[in-house]
Amino acid sequence: MSDGNRKLEKALKLINQKGLDGLIIYSSGTCFVLKPFYFYYFTEFRPIGSNNAALVSRSGDVLLLLGPRWDAGRAARQSWIRNIQGTSDFFKDLTNVLRKFNMTGTVGVAGADQMTYPLYEGLRREAAVEPADDIIEEMAQEKTSEELEVIRKTARIADIGLQAFLRHARIGIRECELLAEVEFAMRSAGADDIFNLMGSGSHNYAMHAPTDRRLASGDAVIGEITPACEGQFVQLCRTVFLGSPAPVLVEKYDILVRALAESLKQVKAGNPAALISKGMNGVISQAGYGKYCYPPYMRARGHGFGVGSIAPGAVIDDDTEAVLKKNQVVIAHPNQYFPETGYLACGETILITEAGFERLSQTETRLYSNEG
Amino acid sequence: METMRPTLKRGRDVWDRINMPKTEFLERVGKIRARMGEQGMNVLLLHANSTDEYGDPCYISNYVMKMPQGAMVVIPLAGEVALICEGFARDLPGVKGITWVENVISCDNVSARSIAFLKENGLIPSTIGISGLEQSMPHDQYRFFLDSTGSCNVIRANRMIREMRMIKSQREVDQVRRSARIVTRAFEKICQTTFSQISEKNIEAVMGREAYFEGAEDVRILIARPGEANSALRPLEGLPVSAHEPVMLCLAVEFERYWAQGIKTFLFEKDTFVESDRNFLRPLFNRIIESLAAGREISRFRGETLAQAGSLQIDVLPEYGLGQGIGLSLQEAPFLDESETGRFQEGMCLALQIAARHEEAGFAVMGETVYLSGNGPEVLTRV
Repeated sequence: MSDGNRKLEKALKLINQKGLDGLIIYSSGTCFVLKPFYFYYFTEFRPIGSNNAALVSRSGDVLLLLGPRWDAGRAARQSWIRNIQGTSDFFKDLTNVLRKFNMTGTVGVAGADQMTYPLYEGLRREAAVEPADDIIEEMAQEKTSEELEVIRKTARIADIGLQAFLRHARIGIRECELLAEVEFAMRSAGADDIFNLMGSGSHNYAMHAPTDRRLASGDAVIGEITPACEGQFVQLCRTVFLGSPAPVLVEKYDILVRALAESLKQVKAGNPAALISKGMNGVISQAGYGKYCYPPYMRARGHGFGVGSIAPGAVIDDDTEAVLKKNQVVIAHPNQYFPETGYLACGETILITEAGFERLSQTETRLYSNEG
Repeated sequence: METMRPTLKRGRDVWDRINMPKTEFLERVGKIRARMGEQGMNVLLLHANSTDEYGDPCYISNYVMKMPQGAMVVIPLAGEVALICEGFARDLPGVKGITWVENVISCDNVSARSIAFLKENGLIPSTIGISGLEQSMPHDQYRFFLDSTGSCNVIRANRMIREMRMIKSQREVDQVRRSARIVTRAFEKICQTTFSQISEKNIEAVMGREAYFEGAEDVRILIARPGEANSALRPLEGLPVSAHEPVMLCLAVEFERYWAQGIKTFLFEKDTFVESDRNFLRPLFNRIIESLAAGREISRFRGETLAQAGSLQIDVLPEYGLGQGIGLSLQEAPFLDESETGRFQEGMCLALQIAARHEEAGFAVMGETVYLSGNGPEVLTRV
């Protein structure tokens, strides 16, 4: 059975369990790193246009409705769905399909949070609408072997990107040029989307989009290097110092390395995700920086990655209630502000296993320095 | 052209106060307030939440969201302008570095925070102008806005902003010109690069690197390969490119908030690309550009263009359209489609494009960014 047929079979089972006439999986075309992309997961096609939907009736009819119309050929090549319709009048075509598929009673909608008011209210005039994000979440919670293969490929690209970051973080280069080099390396290696942030200076407060600033001797250069392939993101967070790092910087970075190691000791399927955060915060607090572990200095200690589901969630902190499950992909990052050194970056993406975890990338977790 | 939206705007993020000084924004606020007064508005709200459609709030504040998160500019008839944006409080210093607006507020939900702001400032009840809320807000946020402003007179102000943005100031034209320069640089770069191996991803990597080095804030690239079955523009994939193969590349670059776009044809010869004139649309496209003139009805231009294509037996693909305005958005007014009732005006920047199929030559597409000056059309993206 193909992956698409498996998805359809699972969706139909859940649609019928819930007593729905069908399911609409909607996308406004936006991709947000901290949110699942239900449409992409289900259709295996990332759309260009601002209104797209996959429609599944309870009897098994499936249709992919997308804009712009000229992109329908790409969808036909990439998606497992064979019934594809390009549209220049999304709502009109959506309602026509709803009627044709007899989806006029109660319809589940995944991705409704991306719908605008006119679209959502228009849909409610056609059918009773029920939120149905949970259908895709349930389908996607355990990653398939094909997904894991893509994730491993993405992890290799993250290593390539980070090596470029370390190689090009030199005195005189502008921040925007540094990230251009990182992106060049990762695109050449096959990344199809990228989420890179950085900071540079003698005392950083946060990571941000790159500026015109030229790197200077004595800078701590922090980076969050995040390629994606087929919607699967993998992230590495590292710090490189330009020059010979002062003992205080080495000491503070060592706290982060120990915090990461401590947090990962708690990682295995069945354990609460909050232990990742508590493990990090414990080490950093013991070092005397407890108040800097929480807002406004720090937010999350990690989050999930994935296309159909980012379980255990968009925020892993001390209060996270979710439990880790096998094959979830999680970034654990004790990125931390210290008053003596500024904000430092340190983080790994891991795959949750029954017995523990698997580090997905190879680049060593340590403080780097470039002398030249 | 519609393009794949990235998960993050990753390029150079600055506010160059020489290119776009605070006085430019204050002039815009002044003009808007004059119109607000004419229409009896007490306050105007401008919303956006996409990396493509950030234009209305950006027009006033210079703020552009890097991720798909909501932003609202609040312009009271008198008093301080405010910028309310979804995001983390720790990001506020970065936001304040790229806007002249001093009252910047971060929040989880831009609708809820905007309503609170209006209440704090005694603007509920009042007459509220809105632009972009209905079109881009998530439905639950807009529902909350409507429920919270039941006692207010809500006026749709999309047209007011659309008309102002449609005619560019000299500084705006200069920004589009800078973006166009990066487009041409990136096109030149792939003709200067020797490729030892060549896949579509290599093209994207080289053009993207060049554009980001030149200061691009965002870069979008599409490819069309006439040799493919059902050829169309699409995002680049890992597919190899063959020797002597023509490819059509659509490159859109955003520089300091302003976009330019070009679509050109290249041939892959030996180990590099050369720009090609082997595009059956070239004569028609040149005529289209020459026929642009301030004062000309857009519907007439469109009709005559399609008639010309017909006389040349060129089957224009309507789904690509003939283009639209370009500036703070890749796609903004005027739209050169059947719904447009206006005329071309001096100061417009246009992304012109045409796509067609030919029985023998297959698929073709061309495009340029054109500034409609007092002296006629000026192509900004010509290499």
